[in-house]
Amino acid sequence: MKLFIMSILLITLLAGCSSGGASNTTSQDSNSNEGNTTEEVNTDELLYVNYRDIRDLNPHLYSGELFAQNLLFEGLVMITDEGIQPWLAKDWDISEDGLTYTFHIRQGVTFSDGYQFDAHAVEANIQAIYDNYDRHGWLESIRLLDGFGAIDEYTFEMKLKEPYYPLLTELAVTRPFRFLSPNSFIDGTTKDGVEGLIGTGKYVLTENHIDEYAIFDVNSSYWGEKPEINRITAKVIPDNQIRTLALEKGEIDIIFGTNMIDAETYLRFSEMEGFGASLSDPLATRMLIVNSTDEILSDVNVRQAVNAAVNREEISDGIFYGLEAPADRMLASTVPYCDVDLEGYVYSLDKANGLLDESGWKMNETTGVREKDGMSLEVEMHYNADSVTEKTIAEYLQGEMTGIGLRLNIIGEEEQAYRDRMKAGDFAITFNMSWGTPYDPHSFLGGMRMPAVYGDYAAQQGLVEVDKLHDTILKAFTSTDEIQRQAYYDYILTYLHEEAIYVPLTFERNRAIYKDKVKNVTFNPSQFEVPLERMYIK
Amino acid sequence: MKRYIIKRMLIALPMMLAVSFIAFVLINLIPADPAEVALRVNDIIPTEEAIEGMREELGLNKSYLQRYIDWLRDVLRLDFGNSYVNKNRTVIGEISRSLPATLELAGASLFIVIFVSIPIGVLCATFKDSVFDRIVRLFIFIGTAMPNYWIGILLIWLFGVKLDLLPTGGNKEEGAIILPAIALSLTYISTYVRLIRTSMLENMTENYVFYAKVRGLNDKTIILKHVLKNSLQSSITALGMSIVKLISGTVVIENIFSWPGIGRLCISSIFNRDYPVIQAYILMMGILFVLCNLIVDLVHYKLDPRLQEVM
Repeated sequence: MKLFIMSILLITLLAGCSSGGASNTTSQDSNSNEGNTTEEVNTDELLYVNYRDIRDLNPHLYSGELFAQNLLFEGLVMITDEGIQPWLAKDWDISEDGLTYTFHIRQGVTFSDGYQFDAHAVEANIQAIYDNYDRHGWLESIRLLDGFGAIDEYTFEMKLKEPYYPLLTELAVTRPFRFLSPNSFIDGTTKDGVEGLIGTGKYVLTENHIDEYAIFDVNSSYWGEKPEINRITAKVIPDNQIRTLALEKGEIDIIFGTNMIDAETYLRFSEMEGFGASLSDPLATRMLIVNSTDEILSDVNVRQAVNAAVNREEISDGIFYGLEAPADRMLASTVPYCDVDLEGYVYSLDKANGLLDESGWKMNETTGVREKDGMSLEVEMHYNADSVTEKTIAEYLQGEMTGIGLRLNIIGEEEQAYRDRMKAGDFAITFNMSWGTPYDPHSFLGGMRMPAVYGDYAAQQGLVEVDKLHDTILKAFTSTDEIQRQAYYDYILTYLHEEAIYVPLTFERNRAIYKDKVKNVTFNPSQFEVPLERMYIK
Repeated sequence: MKRYIIKRMLIALPMMLAVSFIAFVLINLIPADPAEVALRVNDIIPTEEAIEGMREELGLNKSYLQRYIDWLRDVLRLDFGNSYVNKNRTVIGEISRSLPATLELAGASLFIVIFVSIPIGVLCATFKDSVFDRIVRLFIFIGTAMPNYWIGILLIWLFGVKLDLLPTGGNKEEGAIILPAIALSLTYISTYVRLIRTSMLENMTENYVFYAKVRGLNDKTIILKHVLKNSLQSSITALGMSIVKLISGTVVIENIFSWPGIGRLCISSIFNRDYPVIQAYILMMGILFVLCNLIVDLVHYKLDPRLQEVM
């Protein structure tokens, strides 16, 4: 017994030492950081971290990591806070009918292998992308492409079958419209792989150790202003906790992106001495999709009741510590064409109960679950078991829905199985995200028209006006009249809002945590980009 | 001996064949259509035409048995096909790239297991019920109860961040192997200390120990030359199987410590539904188990004269 007590004491002592360390984290860190201030700071290299390998960076395919593709490859135009700006095209003309785009290519640009970037290189790249039509068919800009070619060495023309106003945006996003040296093509194309990763970008890939790290050095022949940081080493650390420990230790300089930093970690680092934290403006909407083909959820009153029973303020404060603002509509009114006059969803259990009463769902006081024609008001909700956030929200909603007599059976699934289910439309309620800037609203809405992209198409099949909805989405894209286009968007957003197919929860914001020697940590309009080239170290 | 080896190998061959069949069947039992998966992992919308094209490309239109025979024929030539995710990379290339790192980690762990468990096991048996023995038993209890990943995170936090002695992950920096190897070996150390201790205590009551004492041999000689030798024989089977378990059990540790081995490859393949890689991984681990089992049996046969008499 004596020995047992001694052992417990020993363990307690050890644990005490450990917890003492934990409670003093800030002071210890500040001490260690004070020590670091005397060390020479390497301003040449930034140690970035990602949760997985950079994979295949072929810019004309979709499996590579976006941050890396952005370092190597550039497009004709660029999305900035001020809108679409010239990049490899110094300017462009759009014909009055909106069908012909003429790009004037910047002169004096070469790929990092010395190959000249001109209209012929643009043509070869667009042809390579077009050769893989099956893969890019989801893009309206590919579907509507009617012809393209080099007019002369520095003029390139694209023709469309119908006007498509988001064309420039689709040309500006990271893929597939980025340019690769034709020297890297295999058999004149890129759909079956490439021989090299040679772009015109600010950096070149100098080393890649699969699943370990990749090194990007400044492109010495870059045509524009060179970035401050000469080398970016992108390490691979798959585990969330270990990534933050590595940042704390100084093995990495920055963690960037919502999927790598949870709200709690963000807040911890934002208060920790020696570290910085940045938060972007709202980028995308976190929401639920409600399947209108489900027997119970086909009733709009039930869908609206679910919407009214969600306390978004509480989700924002309790789960996201206020980092994600409550969302009362599918797309924020700051998103282009989305400033539509809608009555935002308000938390009201009275309203929810009233709607269910109206639809004939009577409360069974014994079970606490409403019933109608012998059927219980019982719905399944799937979530990605790998996502702590989704699990927490699902559990919270499960509790909340009891307030209106709805039994929500929550089911967590492995990520891929969950996605497969979503794409197959085999769900009643599940999680969803809008595509975020700059893809909202057009790509997000465009995706709704395509079966098997996400769950949207399947979820909307029970709507009376589903065909009109999808036709109007296409009309909005092809309209050249700004007022008419807005009218189309008004219909789309109002209809989806009233039909309550989506249950908006919060507006997601991008975040970064980093050592305080890293300066100018900002966010691009696209949530999928990491503006590493704008950062510097001091 | 030769006859025994041939007999054991003849048993091992059908076992390997069974393993290959299981590896093939398991993947094909997954409800998702491999053709659809192959399209989706490459972000191709799985239209009916695209699925049909992919089914043809992957040979899924053939009968089940024919597909298995084709696959086995290719596997015998070490051709596991190409990865679904990185179509330019062969599966065998991916395995060859990641296996050495795993073998290095498993080797280091095995080294720690052997050189820590034997002396501690011997000391615990020699000083049975002493304070040392009890403390070790307590740590064994904790070591067995704590999951690998938790031990890994604690080690990183303590030795990587707080004491700043070792890197938190990767396999390039000096000393990077120490923490993952310790994390991986702790569970095995607990098992082996217990096994060696029990086995030695059993042997200590045997007649040969009594006769050795009568012959005037000192305790040290009896324990190290006789009891330990006999006790270790019983641990060989477990140790043999542990080698494969160490290799296949690196999945979690490699993920925690960013160790670029086959465990990481397996995890990412599962997440990406990269079936050819998963299939190759299952087959390889299965065959390793069969081979190690065979080797352990042969070593046993060689070491234990009683077995040779029975056979």
